Amino acid sequence: MNKRSLILLEVVLIILAVIMLIPIYYLLVTTFKTPAEAALSPMGLPKVFMLDNYIKAFTAMNYPRALLNNVIVNVSSVSLLVAFSSMAAYVIARRPEKMYKRIYGIFMIGLMVPFQISLIPLYKVVSGLGVMNSLVGVILVSVFCINMSFSIFLFKGFINTIPFELEEAAAIDGCRKLRIYWVIVFPLLKPIIATVCILNALAVWNDFMTPLLFLQSPSKAVILLEVYKNVGPFSTDWTAFFPMMVLGVTPMVIFYLFMQRFIINGVVAGSVKG
Amino acid sequence: MKPEFTKTLRNNYVYLLMIAPALIGFSIFFILPTLMNFGYSLTNWSVYKPNYSFIGLKNFVGLFHDVQTTAAVKNSFIYAIVMTILQNILAIPLAVALSLKLKSANLLKTVFFAPAILSVLIVGYLWSFIMTSADHGLLNQLVQLFGLQPINWLGNPKLALFSVLFTQLWQWTGWAMVIYLANIQSIDESLYEAAKIDGANARHRFFRVTLPLLYPSVSFNVLMSMIGGLKVFDIIFSMTSGGPGYATETITTMLIRRGFTEGRTAYAAAFGVIFFLLVLIVSKAITWSFNKWEEKIS
Repeated sequence: MNKRSLILLEVVLIILAVIMLIPIYYLLVTTFKTPAEAALSPMGLPKVFMLDNYIKAFTAMNYPRALLNNVIVNVSSVSLLVAFSSMAAYVIARRPEKMYKRIYGIFMIGLMVPFQISLIPLYKVVSGLGVMNSLVGVILVSVFCINMSFSIFLFKGFINTIPFELEEAAAIDGCRKLRIYWVIVFPLLKPIIATVCILNALAVWNDFMTPLLFLQSPSKAVILLEVYKNVGPFSTDWTAFFPMMVLGVTPMVIFYLFMQRFIINGVVAGSVKG
Repeated sequence: MKPEFTKTLRNNYVYLLMIAPALIGFSIFFILPTLMNFGYSLTNWSVYKPNYSFIGLKNFVGLFHDVQTTAAVKNSFIYAIVMTILQNILAIPLAVALSLKLKSANLLKTVFFAPAILSVLIVGYLWSFIMTSADHGLLNQLVQLFGLQPINWLGNPKLALFSVLFTQLWQWTGWAMVIYLANIQSIDESLYEAAKIDGANARHRFFRVTLPLLYPSVSFNVLMSMIGGLKVFDIIFSMTSGGPGYATETITTMLIRRGFTEGRTAYAAAFGVIFFLLVLIVSKAITWSFNKWEEKIS
């Protein structure tokens, strides 16, 4: 391609990018306006940047509490996923026995079959275990029902590519099996651990259906549930509701701004292995 | 127990211990509910009828005669297929363009990908405000700027599903693009040079070199967006909740409506079984056809 058409292409792409950002700009700019001003000039900058809308949203959503619940759910889910799926994937990748291949096959059903088909029995299982309406229930569903298969899939693909010699040497030196795993293998998994953490952090944070079905008490609500609860009462007053949406996406946006290179690489690593 | 088996077990117990937490958890929260679902689908259990009994395939017969089933399955497939086609048609050229040496390539990549990190629920709310039929919705203000009548984006049964779909394109095309971009960048430069020497123009180079070598990411993206499209829930829930009428009712929204809102539990379970079979057939078909493609080009 010659230089001029490259520049032309770049301009077209930049215009496209700006158009893509309009909804985000609109979301942000509305939060600082009065309802009248928002209806009159939806795209214009606000005359005065008023923060009242945010203060109201912050209290209506019980934001600190919801944020804390989100953090608890995310940190526990992601840690459990990394610990359990990496161990399981290690055994599956390293052991020759047929039994482990069969177990892997069972895990992979979870990749194909949407968990939504069995929501009602899942509801029974969760209440049967006494973890209904608790963060623990949401964590267990996120970890074992929704995200476990994909994490095992990613770990297994990665472990297949690392050479066996280090583990052998350690075994000859008399290192025990579990210790070999945690001391030798686990540190080698760093790149894929980063991918698993990022993809699961996004998936768990943005999952709405699980908390909707398994959390009812207001004190347990996560951020998305708070946004959902407020859409009814505030839907006529956009300028009051928009700040809730902004507060709802802010944690992930900050995460993205700091980690964007790793996030994009993680998404790519996750899918190229597929 | 046979002696060899106990021996393997003894050698293996640490490995069994390592796989146990994942396997036990997965069995309880995934395998067990799936099996239970098959069982419930053959009963008449509902929230209002705590004592349920075996009724065979009656639920399935009922489902085949339920107009909403047909609507939901049809909508889900239209949604998934159109979404898959449009998303890939948009993402591949974008990825090709960004693989050229542009100064702003990295920034553009970040911007195009950004919507994918937002929660689907909130994206749905935002776009339903933008699309609301009244004159003051942002999109209709834009439409009126061009001298056209305001359009009832979400209220028109013929249009609603596609309006929702457009929102998802806005959100997910960047995700697909990033995967294509990585794949394009891994293609050996010398292949293009060889093609150039053979007199291939840009169009030939795209269709004969780039596209065939993209098959790993095409197959991944197609599979992901088909399955993702079939199980779409959050975006429908927040933009139209299945309406107007049943115009945007999909398999998952109907499953939740029947099972949780209306309490017709066994009926929803049967619908779940049908969903299970549909997804299995679709993903097998996609995997099979991409394996054929792979054989053909290698």
